[in-house]
Amino acid sequence: MRRAAAVLMLALAATACGPGESSVTAKRSLRIGVKADQPGLGLLDPKTGRYSGFDVDVATYVAGKLGVPPERITFKTTPSSTREKALAAGTVDMIFASYSITPRRKTQVTFGGPYYVAHQDTLVRADDRTITNVRDLAGKRICAVSGSNSWKRVTEERAVKATPVEMATYSGCIAALAAGRIDALSTDDLILAGYAAGTRTRVINAPFTDEKYGVGLRKGDLAGCEAVNRALTAMYQDGTAARLLERWFGHSGLKINPYVPQFEGCS
Amino acid sequence: MRALGVVAAWLRTVPGRIRAGAVGVLLLLALLAAVLAAGVGQARGGVDTIGHDAGPQVVVTGDLYFALSAMDAQVADILLIGGEHGLGIGYDASVRRYDRYRGLADTAAVQASQLAGSDPARLGTVHAVLDGLGRYERLAAQAIQLADQAGYPAGRPTPDVVATYRRATDLMRLQLLPQAYNVTLDSGATVRASYESRRSAVLADRALVLVAGAVVLAALVAGQIYLARGFRRVLNPALALGTVATLALVVAGAAVLSAEAGRLREAKRDGFDSVLALSRARAISHSAFADESRFLLDPERADTYEQTYLDKSLAVLDVEPAKDQPFNLATYYAGLGRQITAFAAGYGAFLGFFGDEARQERTRPGLVRTLAAYRTVQDNDRRMRALAGRGDLSGAVRLRMGTGRSGAIGAFDAYDAALGALRDQHRHVLNDAVHAADADLRGWDWIPPVTAVGVAVLVLAGVRPRLAEFR
Repeated sequence: MRRAAAVLMLALAATACGPGESSVTAKRSLRIGVKADQPGLGLLDPKTGRYSGFDVDVATYVAGKLGVPPERITFKTTPSSTREKALAAGTVDMIFASYSITPRRKTQVTFGGPYYVAHQDTLVRADDRTITNVRDLAGKRICAVSGSNSWKRVTEERAVKATPVEMATYSGCIAALAAGRIDALSTDDLILAGYAAGTRTRVINAPFTDEKYGVGLRKGDLAGCEAVNRALTAMYQDGTAARLLERWFGHSGLKINPYVPQFEGCS
Repeated sequence: MRALGVVAAWLRTVPGRIRAGAVGVLLLLALLAAVLAAGVGQARGGVDTIGHDAGPQVVVTGDLYFALSAMDAQVADILLIGGEHGLGIGYDASVRRYDRYRGLADTAAVQASQLAGSDPARLGTVHAVLDGLGRYERLAAQAIQLADQAGYPAGRPTPDVVATYRRATDLMRLQLLPQAYNVTLDSGATVRASYESRRSAVLADRALVLVAGAVVLAALVAGQIYLARGFRRVLNPALALGTVATLALVVAGAAVLSAEAGRLREAKRDGFDSVLALSRARAISHSAFADESRFLLDPERADTYEQTYLDKSLAVLDVEPAKDQPFNLATYYAGLGRQITAFAAGYGAFLGFFGDEARQERTRPGLVRTLAAYRTVQDNDRRMRALAGRGDLSGAVRLRMGTGRSGAIGAFDAYDAALGALRDQHRHVLNDAVHAADADLRGWDWIPPVTAVGVAVLVLAGVRPRLAEFR
C-alpha cells in the first residue's frame, strides 16, 4: 500500500514537471537575442535604446504567438561570437540574429525555422561593371570582416582567388568600398541590402549560397521549437511575413521570396 | 450537514454500518473502473496518433515530397539531354518516370488531404500544394516543349528553356516542397508531443489503478472479516468471489497499461523515429540528386546548386572536415569515405539522419548496405563535377544520365532501394507494435465497467442475506 502510494506520488511528480518547465512555451516573459549593428535586420538606436529591423519584428510576432506581448519582451544585443554561450547559460531564451543554421551549430543549439533563407551575394560600387558574379572576384580585393566567415565562402569553399582585406566592421567595409580601397563585399544579401541603403553601391544580384536564418533555442527545447515553427507557418499564411519583407527589403532591389521556407526540423 | 447527520445515524446500527460499508465499496469500485478506463483511453489515444493518424501522415507526406522532388529531377534530366534522346536512360524512359512520379504525387496528395481531415492548417497546406502542382505541370510541359523544338545537344539548353525551367523549379523548390516537408515535420511534432504526454499519463494511471485497486481489495477483505466475526460464519461466498474478480481486474488492468506503455515506446523509438528520419533522408537525397542535374543545366546558378547539394549531403550524413580544412565537397567526399569505413568496421559515430539511424542496433546491416550505396552516389557526384570542371560537359551529362552500375541514375536507384528497404523494416516494427497494442486493448472498453458492475452485484448479493436477518 505504502509502496503503491509512493509510486503514485512519483508518477504525479513526473507529470507535474514534465517537458516544458524551461521551454519558451512556458515563459511569461522572454529575453530575445538580436544584433545591434545590422541595419534592416537588427539595429539598436542608441538614443532611444530601441531595436528595429526584420529580425526584431519576426521575434515580436513569434513571441506573440507564444503568448508573450511586446511589453514583456526584453531584447538583448547578442554578437555572433557569444550566441551559443548565451543560450546555454540562459541569459537569452531565443535568438533572432541572422543566425545561420549549420550542422556544427545544431550540435549545441536547437533551431526553429528557418524564418527566411538569405543568399550570399556581392556588393560593389554602383559604377563597377566588371563584377557580375562570384567568379569575377578573382584578382579583386574583398572585405574580410573579423568574426565573419563569409569571405571564406569565396576564397576557400569556391576557391576564387580574391585578396581578403581585413576590416573590423561592416560599416568600415562600406567606407573602404566607396573610397576604392576594396572592390567588393560579399555576405548575406539581407545584410548587404541594409548597408547599401543610401550609399553609392549596389548588390549584383548573383546569389551563390543558401543561408538559413534560424531561431536559436536552448538545446533540447523541442516543444519550444515546434511551437516556433507553427508560429512561423502562421506568419507566412496570414501575410505578415510578406508585409515585413516588403517593409524592410522592398526597396533594396533584391529578389525576395515570400513563401514559407523548408524547416530544418527540431532536434 | 444533513447528509452527515444521516450517515451518523446509519452508523449507530449494525445494518446501517453494513449499508454504509457497501456504499463505500461501490463508490471505490466506480473510481477504480473510471481510473482504469481513463488509462485505457490514454493508451488508445496514443496508439491512434502514432499508428492511425499523424504517423501515417508522416509516411504519406514524405512520399509526396519524394514524388514532387523526383518529378522536378526528371524534368531537369529531360531538358539536360536535349535532342540526344538516346543518351543514358533516354528521353522516353525519363518521360515515363516523370508520369509515374506525377501519379504518385497525386495519390499521395489525396491521401495526405484525407489524413489531414481534422486539422485546418494542415489541410490548407496540402491544398496549396495541390494547386501549385497544376501550375508546375504547365510550366514543366512548356519547358519540355521548348526543348523539343530547339533540339540542342546534351547539356547546352537554350536560354528560353533555362528561363522556363527556372520558373518551374523555383515554384517547386521554394513553394511546394517546403510546404510538403513542413507538414511531415509538423506531423512528427504531433506524434512526439502525443507520445510524451500519453505515455506518462498511461503510467500515472497504472499507478492510480494499483492504489485504487489496493483500497477496494482492502475494503472487501475488511468487509469479509467484519461479516465473519459479526455473524459467526467462515466465509461470505459472494464477497469472496467479488474480491477475486477485483484482484483479477486490478492485475490485468495494470498489466495491460504496462504493456501499452511498452508498445508505445517500441512503436515510437524503434519504429516511428526511424521512419521519420529515413523519410526525411530520402526526401532530401532526392532533392540533392536533382541539384546535380540543375547544376549541369543552369551554369549561372551552378554555385548555388553545388552549395545546396553540399548542405543536403551534410543533413543526410554530416562529415567533420579535418582541422583547418574548409567545408566544401572535396573535404566532404574525403571525410565520408573515412566515416563509412569506420562505421562498417563497428566504430565511429556521426550526425545527420543516418547518424540518428546508426543508434538502432537491430537494423545495422541494412544501414551498412545503405551507406555503401550512398558512398557510390557521392563517388559519382565527384566524378561528374570533375568532368564538368574540365569542360567535358557531355561526359558529365552521360555519367549523370547513366543507368546500370556505373551510371549515376543506376547507382542512385540502388541507393534509394536500400534506403526504402531500411525504412520498410522500421515500418514493420511500427505496424507490428501498433497492431499488438490494438489487440491488447481489445475488450478493454467494456471490461472495467462490466467487471465493476459484476463485483457490485456480488457485494450486494453478499450483504443482502445479512441485512435480511434484521427485518
